[in-house]
Amino acid sequence: MINGNLKATYAADERMVDNRYKQFFVYGMAVLCALMPFAANNYIILVAAQMGIMLIAVVGVNVVIGYTGLLSLGHAAFLAIGAYSIPILHGAMGTLGLPEGIMPFLAIPGAVLISALLGIIVGLPSLRVKGLYLAVATLSANFIVIFLIELKAVSPWTGGVQGINTPDANLLGWELDTQREMFALIAAMAFVTILAVQNLFRTRVGRAFIAIRERDYSAEILGISLLRYKLMSFAISAACCGLAGALFAYFYARILPEQFELALSLQLVAALIVGGMGRIMGPIFGVIIIVTVPEALKFSFGMVAGGSADVAAFRAPLQEIVFGLLIILFLMFEPLGITQIVDRGFRAINRWPFARG
Amino acid sequence: MGQFIQFTLNGLMAGAIYALIAVGIVSVYKATRVVNFAHGYLIMFGAYFYYTFAVLFPELPSAPDWLAQWEPAWLLAAREGLPMFSPMGAVLDWLANLPRIVFGLAGSVVACALLGRLIERTLMRPLIGQSTFAMIMITVGLISVLSGAKSLIWTADAAFVPHIAPNTPIRFEVFGNPVFLFGADVANVAIALVMFVSIVAWVRYSKGGVAIRATAEDQQTAYSMGISVPKVFARAWVLAATTGAIAGAILATRNGVSPSLGLFGFSVLAIVLMGGLDSYVGVFLAALAVGFLEAMAQWQLGGEWAEVVPYIAVLIVILIRPHGLFGQKEVERI
Repeated sequence: MINGNLKATYAADERMVDNRYKQFFVYGMAVLCALMPFAANNYIILVAAQMGIMLIAVVGVNVVIGYTGLLSLGHAAFLAIGAYSIPILHGAMGTLGLPEGIMPFLAIPGAVLISALLGIIVGLPSLRVKGLYLAVATLSANFIVIFLIELKAVSPWTGGVQGINTPDANLLGWELDTQREMFALIAAMAFVTILAVQNLFRTRVGRAFIAIRERDYSAEILGISLLRYKLMSFAISAACCGLAGALFAYFYARILPEQFELALSLQLVAALIVGGMGRIMGPIFGVIIIVTVPEALKFSFGMVAGGSADVAAFRAPLQEIVFGLLIILFLMFEPLGITQIVDRGFRAINRWPFARG
Repeated sequence: MGQFIQFTLNGLMAGAIYALIAVGIVSVYKATRVVNFAHGYLIMFGAYFYYTFAVLFPELPSAPDWLAQWEPAWLLAAREGLPMFSPMGAVLDWLANLPRIVFGLAGSVVACALLGRLIERTLMRPLIGQSTFAMIMITVGLISVLSGAKSLIWTADAAFVPHIAPNTPIRFEVFGNPVFLFGADVANVAIALVMFVSIVAWVRYSKGGVAIRATAEDQQTAYSMGISVPKVFARAWVLAATTGAIAGAILATRNGVSPSLGLFGFSVLAIVLMGGLDSYVGVFLAALAVGFLEAMAQWQLGGEWAEVVPYIAVLIVILIRPHGLFGQKEVERI
């Protein structure tokens, strides 16, 4: 909430980007993303594309954890399903003889749909249990999905433990075979996802989610069907993660089951905690921190070590420790995440010189 | 039939060790209402501490010779002329290793207890009264910190650590079917069972245990009856860490010392939820059941199926009985 932000008309109040800071940020980001494929170097493109994929997934996680209040530690499973759907659907469409140019237009919605269906299945325990029990149920689902992907019986389709090569996206003859071109697609998709999810919370469905988060029994008394809305929340969230997974598969040349294990689920939740749960800006800040901190560590290590292997061996463990400390310190000292810090800053600016904080 | 008995016994023995690990999670939950997702990594630290004190430390040049290999004259004399792989030889080998085993276990228990105390003091106590979500996610963050710290401290993995008990093969017959067990495994099960029973008895009958149960019932009331709740928290964490240290040492002798020991924590978490978070009996039965099912899966479907058994089992149990087989239903106020 940013105070000192007077609106004179209802139209102004209903606008999505309703103050100058948001306008500046959103339009600035749009311009930056549009310019980046032409200006940035390969390394920046790589990091930005990773951020974009993760952002889409964390926006999905935010729907379930941040807005509906259901703790899930298994969202990497949905990314896995989305990612594995791409080579499998491409293979299936190849045997049907469809031209490559239209495959992504069918494969991406297909991957999203399959993930959403899996989301409904994984969401089933949420009708019986919540909190900790749900966390363990979703965590179990993650282990089981990865296990099924690695199973020998399905290895002709999934490649088993060795992983599988993924096709490039071909949009009506425009082959996205470089990371630069893929970044354009990822950035566009990320904008669309954030816009869609932000709009969702201005509708009846989104408000039902928030009511369930605040108190599920009270929500039920108000006439919100828990069955329908909890499963819908899981489906929407899984759909976002499925989209992220599909883009992941197009972005990298090869996918492995181990990329979608518990570590990724924890990373998604960590990004949400760091950024701030139940706020649309939360995933954005969170992903920026979670992706840039390891990169910054890498750079500072490069400068200190100067190529010495002894010091470089400490990098991965230190990244892990810093990642854990980020979760712990934010939960202890700023449970509402970076959005809260930013809000505080803007509030101080708006009210200056009358009040601070 | 013979194979069935063999696999059942193996499964039940694994189940007893799961129960020992689960006791740590249940104790912490009973006292503090925190479910420790990082318990598996505490166990991993227990295993690495055992490795440090039982293997690395005796190998130091400054360590006394008897610590690495205890060989009094009578031991050497007894070993003379024994055939290879004889049961007596295994016992004598174990005797020669005994000093470092005891040193390793003691060191591991003390180091783990200190670690548990540190975690309780720095991470858990500031969060008394916070939401479950914050508590769970703090232990999740702890997973990364512990696993990173492990890679900083111990860079290499170790394959071998000395067995806790003499590893003589034991052969006997059940209903005319031959069964084959390792002495060390049987001893591990005995240790696990004794520890489990003594902890349950301690929580039930001793003054400290009653304080833990009172705190579990109602923190505020326990406080006003003169129970020091922070002390109870500390005691529960130290208890969990010490059982974790022993469990870690046992797992290290069974599977070798590696970071994958941390993953045990997740399957045991599944077992704990299956049995019911606050019921020692339920958790014990669930641990045996999962051990048995894992062995059956390994026998009939192949080794890779065994690792998902706990997760499938917990999903089924949670769907049918949301608070576990023996868990108390949480009463919720609106």
